[in-house]
Amino acid sequence: MATTALPSTTSFDFRTTVSDNRLKALWRMMTGFRLLYGGATLALGFAAIFKTLTFLLLAYFTDEVLEKRDFEFIGLVAVGFVALALMEGGFTFLSGKWAARTAEGVTRRLRNFLFDHVQRLSFSYHDKHQTGDLLQRSTSDVDAVRLFLADQAIGAGRIVLLFVVNFTAIALLNWKLALASVVVIPPILVVSVFFFRRIEKSYEKFQEQESVLSTILQENLTGVRVVKAFARQQWEMDKFEKENFEKYKRGRKLTINHAYFWPTTDIICSLQMLGGFIYGATLAIEGEISLGTYLAYAGMVVWLIWPIRNLGRLITQMSIGLVSYGRVMEMIKEDRESLVGINKPPHGEVKGEIVFDDVSFEYDKDVAVLHNISFAVKPGQSVALMGPTGSGKTTVVNLLPRFYEYTSGKIMLDGIELKEYSKEFLRDQIGIVEQQPFLFSRTIRENITYGVSREVSDEEVEVAARAAAIHEVILTFPKGYQTLVGERGVTLSGGQKQRVAIARTLLKNPRLLLLDDATSSVDTETEGEIREALQNLMEARTTFIIAHRIQSVMNADLILVLDKGRIVQRGIHDELVEQDGIYRQIYDMQARIETELEKEIASV
Amino acid sequence: MSDNYRFEEEEFNTQFNGKTLIRILQQVKPHWKWVTGFLFMIMSVAMLDSYLTYLGKRIIDEGIVPGDKDALVQIGALYIGIMLVLSAGVFGFIYLAGILGHLVQYDLRKKMFDHLQQLSFSYFDRTPVGWIMSRVTSDSERVAQLVTWGLLDTTWGIVNTITASVFMLLINWKLAIVVLIMIPVLMRTSVWFKKRILVEFRQVRKFNSEITGSYNESITGVRVTKSNRREEANLKEFEVLTDGMYNASYRAAWFSALFLPAVQVISAVAVGCVVYLGGLEAKTGGMTIGGIQAFVAYITFMMWPIQEMARVYAELQRAIASGERIFSLVDAAPDVTDKEGAIDPGTLRGDIEFDDVTFYYEEDKPVLNNFSLKIKGGETIALVGETGGGKSTILNLLCRFYEPKSGQIRINGQDYRDFTLHSIHSRLGIVLQTPHLFSGNIRENIRYGRLGATDTEIEDAAKLAGAHEFIVALEKGYEEEVGEGGNLLSVGQKQLISLARAVLAQPDIFIMDEATSSVDTLTEHLIQKGMEELMSDRTSFVIAHRLSTIKQADRILVIEGGKIIEMGSHAELIHQRGHYYNLYTRQFRKDLEVKYDIFKTSEQKVVGIEKGAAEESLPDAVGL
Repeated sequence: MATTALPSTTSFDFRTTVSDNRLKALWRMMTGFRLLYGGATLALGFAAIFKTLTFLLLAYFTDEVLEKRDFEFIGLVAVGFVALALMEGGFTFLSGKWAARTAEGVTRRLRNFLFDHVQRLSFSYHDKHQTGDLLQRSTSDVDAVRLFLADQAIGAGRIVLLFVVNFTAIALLNWKLALASVVVIPPILVVSVFFFRRIEKSYEKFQEQESVLSTILQENLTGVRVVKAFARQQWEMDKFEKENFEKYKRGRKLTINHAYFWPTTDIICSLQMLGGFIYGATLAIEGEISLGTYLAYAGMVVWLIWPIRNLGRLITQMSIGLVSYGRVMEMIKEDRESLVGINKPPHGEVKGEIVFDDVSFEYDKDVAVLHNISFAVKPGQSVALMGPTGSGKTTVVNLLPRFYEYTSGKIMLDGIELKEYSKEFLRDQIGIVEQQPFLFSRTIRENITYGVSREVSDEEVEVAARAAAIHEVILTFPKGYQTLVGERGVTLSGGQKQRVAIARTLLKNPRLLLLDDATSSVDTETEGEIREALQNLMEARTTFIIAHRIQSVMNADLILVLDKGRIVQRGIHDELVEQDGIYRQIYDMQARIETELEKEIASV
Repeated sequence: MSDNYRFEEEEFNTQFNGKTLIRILQQVKPHWKWVTGFLFMIMSVAMLDSYLTYLGKRIIDEGIVPGDKDALVQIGALYIGIMLVLSAGVFGFIYLAGILGHLVQYDLRKKMFDHLQQLSFSYFDRTPVGWIMSRVTSDSERVAQLVTWGLLDTTWGIVNTITASVFMLLINWKLAIVVLIMIPVLMRTSVWFKKRILVEFRQVRKFNSEITGSYNESITGVRVTKSNRREEANLKEFEVLTDGMYNASYRAAWFSALFLPAVQVISAVAVGCVVYLGGLEAKTGGMTIGGIQAFVAYITFMMWPIQEMARVYAELQRAIASGERIFSLVDAAPDVTDKEGAIDPGTLRGDIEFDDVTFYYEEDKPVLNNFSLKIKGGETIALVGETGGGKSTILNLLCRFYEPKSGQIRINGQDYRDFTLHSIHSRLGIVLQTPHLFSGNIRENIRYGRLGATDTEIEDAAKLAGAHEFIVALEKGYEEEVGEGGNLLSVGQKQLISLARAVLAQPDIFIMDEATSSVDTLTEHLIQKGMEELMSDRTSFVIAHRLSTIKQADRILVIEGGKIIEMGSHAELIHQRGHYYNLYTRQFRKDLEVKYDIFKTSEQKVVGIEKGAAEESLPDAVGL
């Protein structure tokens, strides 16, 4: 075995395999496995040869032992049959084993690559692609590629090799007999390719109906309240019945197709077999071939004809596999965002001074989202961003970790332009708490330690959780910090998730903090606790706050009011309430609410 | 579907259960003609198949060896005849077994689906949707396969083995016995391999669903991953999964690759014995050349039926487990059913009374304790209070989705258990906070409320519910598709449609559980009048945080810990300065904040860029 050591799974860059010719690309993708796969094919060839040798031994046995009544070596011949079977079996096994190694090895490498690829693709890519689509490409399409290598290509190879070896052997024994035995091969091949193409389509329709049924069932189950509330059980049953029956009908159609194909080709193949038998028998009677040769022929011809029917199936499946492969390739082609910067990262800690200098950003070409944004923050200060949905608040903070690249102007961190830092370094300095924080379905502890790569002690986790006012809540769960998020029976409320996210950020201990609407979706009860947790978090960090309410922003060192991608007002709370403008309108609103409330209560 | 997978695998190691197997087989009882048909077909095919091999022997012994060409022609003719019959048999069994398989699955699914419609809420509370889904989809398929193809393959295997054995015994009984000894060895080996391979494949599927889950999280959580620079750590964790997948798949493939050669070698030992012993027999004339050839052919092909039988046997356990789960679903009895002699009262209009009602979902966690309440016909009742206080439970009991554990609920003075479920449910109009729509267009969804409604009635209902305006603004209007579960519409739009649906139902009792929580203030205002009119002559129950809705109620109940802690009209409760007062003022501030939100005036949407921020961020309902 030439290749026992597996090539490293991650270092292989699939982007070097991209080619318009799918077969060529597939070949490139097999780098490191080609020898193994070649070995698997070779072993198949040997297995076929040993199988054929078995029939030749049978010929020898008939002609030299039985016909000549010379029983001296009969024991040896008997052992010969077992020995040939062992050789054939051994090579068949090796071939299966090596093909599996190749298929599974290539797939594992591909899976790892795609996983890494997905998390390194840019945000613009993720914005434009549906989760379901990416998921399908990385799972079922990859599996189609695996099947291509593991079953289909090797299966087709086996049929071709069996054909070649047996045809050659028969031809060597008697070329006329060989030619007479393959008359139906071309029509059988054509018919089977045609048939399996058709079956594939019927099968697709059948599967579509299956998903229609699933949808009805799923909607019925999730909507059980509605069904019961309107007493629509009968209606639902009728609806299900209709589609269920449709599925039965499509299944029936599929079955009927099969019911025609197999016996029809059975007849054709059997006629060919019989023709060969009769012709061979005639040749034997006329003495052109020996009886042994006839017997060998009768054995070999089986492997010449019957497997061909399956070639049609394999060819159809392979073409589907290649389509899947093309879909995977489209994803591989995409560029990753580079995490490594142009210059070396600076030594020591970042102070956290941020300057926006005339920054503009276009999301798509010609659709400007930010216009000429300029402002400056000193280390440890906080900036609040207010404005309506779509005004560009989130975009401003998205530029800092370089989730998107600004299109003109400059953003400076500690006097050095952002683009000079590596994204890797920048993102280490930044912590983000979002409106609807995303938690992974891992334990709560793992979610809290998600942002740090080092080992973290239980004490550290607890300190962070306490500061985020979530420690007590976690202790009420049966498994405490080991509770799985999303586990049945334990549900974290929006506020609790928020606080876990805050603990996560506290533990990460970033210099820059981005609070994206971190309190708006939380109920009043926990709002106070979160506010306090956020206060802990903001201490001594440069902070960007996106918020809707005056209370959330009034202590900021700089307040920016954005509208349609421009800064329309700037200053501190005391200045802004003095100015005419949006800010004062919001401020006045609060006072107005109190008066109205008093009026309302009094009027009752 | 990765979630469903987990449900599929539980209880896999159930013991072999003969009773279940019999019950599974009974599923085809109504189609016994089909079963008899395909069993007859497959038996004929198996026998004729063996005979064709025997004809091969005759070609040699009667044709070639004596040099008789006429015999060849005769045998050839017989061969063609048999082959045609055989093909007809193949057509027959594929047709019968294949179609029956789909038919059985159709039956099972219908049975399960119809039964599910009768089951009570408590069943759905404790049974995850994914569990039910895999019962109806994959388990039904497995059972259908067992009673058709499984039965067919086993029959084929048995008949084929027997006829082959008979022919061998006829040719040479001594040699045949040698071969027959090999059969159990072949069988055992095959079963061992098949079981082993099945176990490995289960492992593969487990890893596969974990890998899918991992991809899913990686894609949806990409922002968190990037900002925390977790790429490398994530990849390392993922590699553990793909390594596991690799090992499991490789092992499965390894066993599969070894299986066939192992069986072939065992057969080859049999061939060796036949060659040796047969050769010696031939010496004395006890064996012909054709006979030896036939033996070799029988032995070589005997491994296929044996393999098939081994496969069915290995999968049998799984199929029985599937059957058990299907039967557990079909046997589940609904808790809430019609009492014997239950009647249709004709109307639900009238007084409603909760008399000393106690209720719990789980035995040790009571939700309502000795709860009593009298409601006059036509009254509008608003329920307020913290989440989990028991508001929804009261409505669930009222709708008779659950029944009181003790005490009574009376409608017009009569225990509602004297009424049929259908007579109650068909007179309710319910609108829920998380509205549920079905795939189909808007018109169909509204019509769900009253199947016989005309298009005009549907549109009138939509107008009353404030849905008409946005519907006609859609490209296809009422014919617009709502998508799976209605997910092409916003939550607010779905709420309006489900409101229209309830309005169309012309119910006697109207129930709204946060029915318009995601509807904007302006629309809410527009539908206010219509709704008031609608509710004026019906008994109505409202859980809401909208102050305007609550203030209109005839009576407001503040529910906490399963008890009514405050009750009265809006004015009375405000004057009390108690719980209601606090809830009210808090909500009042929130409402106005939304109302006066100046940002609302200059909304501008940029698709894609502020994904999270663009979602509706509504004031959360704290009890009100």
